[in-house]
Amino acid sequence: MLSLNINKKTYKVDADPDTPLLWVLRDHVGLVGTKFGCGVAQCGACVVHLNGEAVRSCVTKASRAEGKQVVTIEGLAENDDHPLQKAWLELDVSQCGYCQAGQIMSAAVLLKENKKPTDEDINDAMAGNICRCGTYLRIRDAIHLAADIQAKEGAGK
Amino acid sequence: MRNTWFVMIVGVVVAFAIMAFSLNNSKTAEPPVALKKDSVASVAAFKKVYTVLMSARCMNCHPSGDVPLQGDDNHLHTMLPKRGTDGKGLYAMKCANCHQPTNTAGLHAPPGNPNWHLPPADMKMVFQGKTPRQLAQQLIDPKQNGHKDLKALIAHADDGLVKGGWNPGDGRTLPPMSYVAFKKAWLTWLNTGAYAPAK
Amino acid sequence: MVFFGLCNIAAFLFVEEGIKPVYIPIKPDICMEATKTNFNRRAFLKASALAGGGLILHFSALAKLGFDDKSQLADAPAQWNEITGYIKITDDNVVKILCPNPEFGQNVMTSLPMMVAEELDVDWKKVVVEMGPHDNVKLGPQFTGGSMSVRMYWKPLREAGAAARNMLLQAAAQTWAVPVEELSTKAGVIYHEKTGRKGVYGDFASKAAAIPVPKGVKLKDVKNFNVVRHSQKNVEGAKIVSGKPLFGLDYKQEGMLIAMIHHPPAFGLKLKSFDASAALKMPGIKDIFSIKMFEDGFEQAGFDTRSFNTLLVVVGKTTWEVMNARKKLVAEWMPAGDTKDTMGGRVGKREVTVPGELETTATQLEKMKQHAAMPANQMRKDGDPETAFKNAAQIVERTYVAPFLAHNCMEPMNFFAHVTDEKALLAGPLQGPGWSEPTLSKILGLPADKIEIQMTRMGGGFGRRAYSHYQVEAALISKKMKAPIKLIYSREDDTTYGIYRPMYTATYRAALDANKNLIAFHVKGGGIPENAIHANRFPAGAIDNYLAEGWEIPSNITIGAFRAPRSNFNAAAEQSFLDELAEAMGKDPIDFRLELLARAKEKPVGKNNEYDADRYAGILKLVKEKSGWGKPEHSQYHRGVAAYFCHNSYAAHVVDMVIKDGQPYVERVFSAIDCGIVVNPDAATNMVQGAVVDGIGNSLYGGLTHKNGEVEQKNFHSYRIIRMHEAPKKVEVYFVQNDIDPSGLGEPPFPPVFGAVANALYKSTGKRYYQQPFTSPQSEVPTV
Repeated sequence: MLSLNINKKTYKVDADPDTPLLWVLRDHVGLVGTKFGCGVAQCGACVVHLNGEAVRSCVTKASRAEGKQVVTIEGLAENDDHPLQKAWLELDVSQCGYCQAGQIMSAAVLLKENKKPTDEDINDAMAGNICRCGTYLRIRDAIHLAADIQAKEGAGK
Repeated sequence: MRNTWFVMIVGVVVAFAIMAFSLNNSKTAEPPVALKKDSVASVAAFKKVYTVLMSARCMNCHPSGDVPLQGDDNHLHTMLPKRGTDGKGLYAMKCANCHQPTNTAGLHAPPGNPNWHLPPADMKMVFQGKTPRQLAQQLIDPKQNGHKDLKALIAHADDGLVKGGWNPGDGRTLPPMSYVAFKKAWLTWLNTGAYAPAK
Repeated sequence: MVFFGLCNIAAFLFVEEGIKPVYIPIKPDICMEATKTNFNRRAFLKASALAGGGLILHFSALAKLGFDDKSQLADAPAQWNEITGYIKITDDNVVKILCPNPEFGQNVMTSLPMMVAEELDVDWKKVVVEMGPHDNVKLGPQFTGGSMSVRMYWKPLREAGAAARNMLLQAAAQTWAVPVEELSTKAGVIYHEKTGRKGVYGDFASKAAAIPVPKGVKLKDVKNFNVVRHSQKNVEGAKIVSGKPLFGLDYKQEGMLIAMIHHPPAFGLKLKSFDASAALKMPGIKDIFSIKMFEDGFEQAGFDTRSFNTLLVVVGKTTWEVMNARKKLVAEWMPAGDTKDTMGGRVGKREVTVPGELETTATQLEKMKQHAAMPANQMRKDGDPETAFKNAAQIVERTYVAPFLAHNCMEPMNFFAHVTDEKALLAGPLQGPGWSEPTLSKILGLPADKIEIQMTRMGGGFGRRAYSHYQVEAALISKKMKAPIKLIYSREDDTTYGIYRPMYTATYRAALDANKNLIAFHVKGGGIPENAIHANRFPAGAIDNYLAEGWEIPSNITIGAFRAPRSNFNAAAEQSFLDELAEAMGKDPIDFRLELLARAKEKPVGKNNEYDADRYAGILKLVKEKSGWGKPEHSQYHRGVAAYFCHNSYAAHVVDMVIKDGQPYVERVFSAIDCGIVVNPDAATNMVQGAVVDGIGNSLYGGLTHKNGEVEQKNFHSYRIIRMHEAPKKVEVYFVQNDIDPSGLGEPPFPPVFGAVANALYKSTGKRYYQQPFTSPQSEVPTV
């Protein structure tokens, strides 16, 4: 039995400890905001935070998450009001929307570590997240906007 | 468009006009390892070492730029993760975000190591593009090798990340010789004077 | 009908009794049946409160209700008064509009309801939008594809809104006993000025629902729109950024099993035998078996394309367990040899031979070369091109090649199915539920009215999800398992079982006289397995002597629609050729095109020209102006231009390229689009920007190759997709302002990107690129 702390809640999960965190989240815990895209850490759709780092849950064994804090898109901000979420809505970034949770989770680590990212910083942080609809321009603009919101309002709850 | 990825064409020209480098042991109180200097044996051993260090398994994490390499063709790592100051990546693209403590099973899944990283920004330890001579000189220069003295260099053969080259994960080629053969060549090179080839 | 989990919600919401969905072409009057339906109001109100904050509310069972929210449904339902098939209003004035078409990122869940709301005259910010049930009788054709959604619903949805408003007015007139002509509406409120009476739509909804749906209600003048032509935000935006269950892969039911499919590793192979003994012992595994898609002689419809007829299936409790068991599954494959397919559809029943060859890309290229040299089918001929070429002072001839492309939807193919002896429930991402339903009905032996299809949000489509084999597979697996199952493709399954963009080639020839006048034009195109050439499009109609020919090579590699089918190749080849031709003639590439278009307008050659030369010229002029074409201040960029017409719309781009770290990088783009009325301007801009990025990515990096029938690219490590650092930082989009009924937008901006990129590459490197993807080593080798 795995014991996992996800979005500040403890879950007891009856799964093989080698099961990727992605499938524990989706199949066992029922948090499906974290997406399956490639299964081999290529696309970034499955990014979650593990002790604050943007790990790819498709290759992260659930056992690695034991004793650590897991945060998924559902728990990024209490009221879904992280500056990034606000900026994404303000600029209406999404098209199909499938990759956007992963994009936001990656961007959240960028904004935490770099309060005023340049375009180059955004490239360095975000080149691991594929958006097949091609919303990259708006993702870039939304990260800049979120940095401004964060500077004004703080990083959300 | 020609593929402009760096393609290493390594012509190993070995000559025997050799100069030995003294190793700076001053930082450690340990007694120096007894050397039986033999320039011919040392250079011959380094030739072997060089083929391993320039193989994809070693060189891909010792790139000339700030982006690691992938594959036997040493192409830039897809999605361009950057070195960062500590060699462990940047922001959402830190090595350990994908590279787990152990290899992830499956073709093209990330290989793993508990200490997966590039050399840090202030000590890049570049292999890519280096001639045998340049690489040998760099390896024994504490200012370029991560402040390693001879003893540390010898011990480095047993480093987990070095050994990881021989456990590369599904579908990846191995370095051109066995780990045992490599270690033997490495130690021979060092213990016979760590001579650098002429070119 | 009682299911557990989400399904009971879905049944509750989506099933309208007594309506039998069958495919019929949309007509306004068939959408107007008024019935009442029930709905759980407390669940809705809670959903609304959560979505809150003055945002547009979107509500659907799939979208809103997390798997632990089931308790909300226990409460008593409220009354929905259905006023036309698209509109439901409660007595306490909640206005809900159903979106008829599946959403795959083109934003129809917002734009289509906007069109209803415009004529209904409601406050858009208070409207609830919900994905409709699959019901072709009430909600029209319901397919997403061909850039058709807005086009085909433009009139019916506005008519539905206008009819509903009229019904509400009639109900108010009856209630107040005043003439209906004296009533007016504003933002969901009905006014009677003379008596000072007013009431919200909800006050009259139940009465209105009983009034026969009027026909021919006058529609608003397009100049008076206040919802349409104004930017409205994506109604599912808030759910997307907070990770709510929306997609097929998120769909879940109590007791649901997971299934994955093992397909042959190469086109041209079939299953010989398998040994599941080790895999069956793996934890969580329920069963392993093979399924047969179509029985011999099954008459396939247009979107029944399937790569392999016999598939190995692993069913288990969880996804990871099934993935693990697959590794232990031992399968033997054998050459399928030539096989026969029976095709139905519009042209009638016919047998087609599918060759059994194990194809390799080098051989495919060689075969295309051979075919290109052989006589082909004439598609159009104007004047006397043979003589003109014979008399030419100069002939420019170039051959272009493009590879197979995989769609790479971010959400891999998947479908939920629960099939019993009596009925079937299917839920998942699909572009055309109306196309697959007859097939399901035949295969499952169930009447259409016992098949319920729920349309989830799709994680991308690009044409791929028009082909419903994965839905049929899910249904067959569920039937065999006698249990609800969800079929999931891994990324590798998705890439190697594709309904790909075909492999194309075309040779363009132009004859110039001694004064460098263009006197004849010849295009001969072909492909595996289809020819791409649109013979009646530009520059046809602009040149006296014109010849278009085509040929095809049969193949077992399955192909289908891919964002702007055929056009996505033609625009690359033709627009590169015109660029090179302009140079050979010493002309500016935009001016050269404008000259041809002026000719096509003033004295068109032939009668079947599909494009409007004026509108085509309009986007070129607009992009020329907006990009500052030819102005010295842009000299730091290598500029390429291209334009194209498809799906009744016109698109032109100027791309500004630089060479960065030895690689071509498109830093910014100017786009000019004429798609008539722009329904939702900011969302339309987003879609054009995305198409530009998609075009740059596919032209530079996209491509699928084969080795002995096996797809060589398995996942994103080898199938390169454009990423953040490779995408332009700026795409300025300009729409031609006119009042023409809207035409397509999802596809038209995509094809000309390829040509513009090719032309900018030439400016950047001094070399012409003839083979896609342009960053492949062989690209710059002239194929002539």
